Amino acid sequence: MHHALHIKNGIVIDPKNGVKAEKMDIFVKNGKIVEESELKGEDVKVIDATNKLVVAGGVDMHAHIAGSKMNTGRTMRPEEMRVVRNIANKFRAAIGRVLLTSPAIGYEYTKMGYTSVFEAAQPPIGALHTHEELDAIPMLDKAALPVFGNWHFVLKYVAEKEMEKLKAFIAWAIERTKGFGVKVVNPGGVEAWMYGGNVSSLDDQVPGFNVTPREIILSLIQATEELKLNHSVHLHCNRLGVPGNYETTIESIRLASKFSNDARQVLHVTHVQFNSYAGDSWRTVASGAEEIAKTVNAMDNVTIDMGQPIFGHATAMTGDAPFQFTLHRLTGSRWSNKDSEVEGGAGIVPIAYLPKNPVHALQWAIGMELGLLTDSDKVVLTTDYPNGGPFTEYPYIMAMLMSRKMREGELEKVSPFVQKASNLPAIDVEKTLEEVIHMTRSLPARILGLPNKGHLGIGADADIAIYDLDPLNVDTSNDFEKIYKTFKTAVYTIKDGIIVAKDGNLVEEYWGKTYWVDATGRVDLEAIKADLEDYFRYYSVELQNYGVEESWLKKPERIVI
Amino acid sequence: MIIIKPKAEFVVTVEAELTPDLAEKDIEEVKKFKVYYGKDLVELGELFEVVREGDDKKLVLEGDFSKVKWIGCRMAEGEIVVKGSVGANCGAYMAGGRIVIEGDADDWLGAEMKDGEITVMGNAGNLVGCAYYGNATGMNGGKITIEGNAGNYIGEKMAGGEIEIKGNAGDFIGTEMKGGVIKIHGSCGFVGGDMKAGEIRIGGDFELMPTFVKGEDGWSGDMNVKGEGVVKKL
Ligand SMILES: [Zn+2]
Repeated sequence: MHHALHIKNGIVIDPKNGVKAEKMDIFVKNGKIVEESELKGEDVKVIDATNKLVVAGGVDMHAHIAGSKMNTGRTMRPEEMRVVRNIANKFRAAIGRVLLTSPAIGYEYTKMGYTSVFEAAQPPIGALHTHEELDAIPMLDKAALPVFGNWHFVLKYVAEKEMEKLKAFIAWAIERTKGFGVKVVNPGGVEAWMYGGNVSSLDDQVPGFNVTPREIILSLIQATEELKLNHSVHLHCNRLGVPGNYETTIESIRLASKFSNDARQVLHVTHVQFNSYAGDSWRTVASGAEEIAKTVNAMDNVTIDMGQPIFGHATAMTGDAPFQFTLHRLTGSRWSNKDSEVEGGAGIVPIAYLPKNPVHALQWAIGMELGLLTDSDKVVLTTDYPNGGPFTEYPYIMAMLMSRKMREGELEKVSPFVQKASNLPAIDVEKTLEEVIHMTRSLPARILGLPNKGHLGIGADADIAIYDLDPLNVDTSNDFEKIYKTFKTAVYTIKDGIIVAKDGNLVEEYWGKTYWVDATGRVDLEAIKADLEDYFRYYSVELQNYGVEESWLKKPERIVI
Repeated sequence: MIIIKPKAEFVVTVEAELTPDLAEKDIEEVKKFKVYYGKDLVELGELFEVVREGDDKKLVLEGDFSKVKWIGCRMAEGEIVVKGSVGANCGAYMAGGRIVIEGDADDWLGAEMKDGEITVMGNAGNLVGCAYYGNATGMNGGKITIEGNAGNYIGEKMAGGEIEIKGNAGDFIGTEMKGGVIKIHGSCGFVGGDMKAGEIRIGGDFELMPTFVKGEDGWSGDMNVKGEGVVKKL
């Protein structure tokens, strides 16, 4: 039910609009934040937020919440399905330990005060399935990033230096998949995996194509910038999970220096924790986070997200198929490999992060180092769910970023390897509440290019979270237990002006929007017509049948650029 | 002691984690114990008659419990006597105490149990003492005795404890077994596939994988996984 809302006496933190813990009232009408005067004569529901924290709903810009790899993971891990989180009543049954079912994903994010979540890797041929699953996730606004970095069309156009055709292809593919932007996973490496290999540097030749990872990344950034897509290239770097990879990561980040954009970054590098290892083997591995943070801080057009591991169960699933094979060999755990035509691949391996395992403890420390040492305006809080662990532990990361004391306590529980292989024990940075709110709301919204998200200014979407925390009377360094507990359960979660959860209980089932970006008006689709027809002659799906029609989506929100 | 009797015949299964701990509760509290009847969450008292007799930590289940799952799940002490048959998952994750079933037991009897004792006077189904799908280790302690016959996949991934079957059993006995003892007095089908350790003793006929090596008084394997399990005649 749409009500006009008057959120009274809350303490608002709204980094985008420069509001730093100010007592103020927020007004909502028709799903938007409005001026008080707009509410005259309305039937207004008043929410008393006295001494409570009022912020925008959380925005998760990188999680895996839908698509074939999620379902394969669920099939592979029956043990994940034994935890019952919510039994029917008027809502749908929700189960899962870390690998949740679709309704559980919507409900658990909502209880925590998150309102938008982006699926970060959509294999294009699986787009319909991905959208059907996204449509099964209640409450949240969603979108999906199709993967481009190993698609034969991309490799071909990059090799031929056909920039206009590359742009036309990207616009065509995003429209066909109802996608949001350009995701790149281990560019060239997944194609090499089709021949049993991988790439080992930005300058390796991709088998069968006269291109290198460097050329793929540069061309995709250029195409994305010229198309003026909302979001920049979203890069999962080469050599993920390999000791010594931090140098490749830094090299990749520096590729952005050739480009500029006033509105946002030109490159977002994701789950950087997995790409921040120094050393040359698992025996000599150490943190390369400080160097990476320095590089990011020195550039004005790159952002990153943490990919923070959480101790306990997780499930590694990524479009980086060769990495997943390596992980399977390393852990001896179950492994599933996926291949999606000429578009990319994926792998899945169950994993548990153990505090006493030196490598796991180091990964945990590196995630924190990245979060602490990178400017708060350039690093987003993520676990790369379910790769680093459950999104339900975001409050743990929030509390850790704000409290050195908490980190000291946690450091005592983990492998002493961390003491010599990382700088975490020496870092005394404590992020402020405002910085952490920025890292979970306004920053990811800006990085995604969604001006109505992540803030509480007039005209913003009325996605609001209210927490039982008085920011004017909390000592975030010492009250870390309170911080953790508070952010686990919002007192109110409001989506598009509708109260969907209160005190951890779901109040109303609501269906959020699916954003997709239509850039086809900016390109000449005729330029790639012959190539498409030629390719699809050998495809398992006919060109006419390829992709997702807008009318098949539950609540599509088309962004025309 | 608490005596529990079904009030009527169940149309769908009941999921009721009934343990002897209930005998220490007030009778009204016992009646309010939550169980699932199909997809509905209901109170124990709606489906069963509940009577108290004496103070010992014991449950007596009278009547047909063959559609009631999870009896004795995670129990650590006390006793359950079933004067009839039980449904699946009876004694799952059990850590101590005793369950006596006068009738038959369904599948997953004593799955992943750690300690304690289960006796079945009749027959048991499949997957006795095994691991739930996706888990690495089945039963690793305690003892399960079946007076009658049992089905397939007995003791899969079992790591400790003992399963004794007085009658016959089906196929795939002790698959991926890592420890403990399985005794079958009668005959059974294939035994020991991917067995790593532990012992299987059989009185009657059985079939063995070709990946077992004959020794002085039995066979060892499964060579396929460099296993050191032992299969011998009872
Ligand atoms: Zn990811």
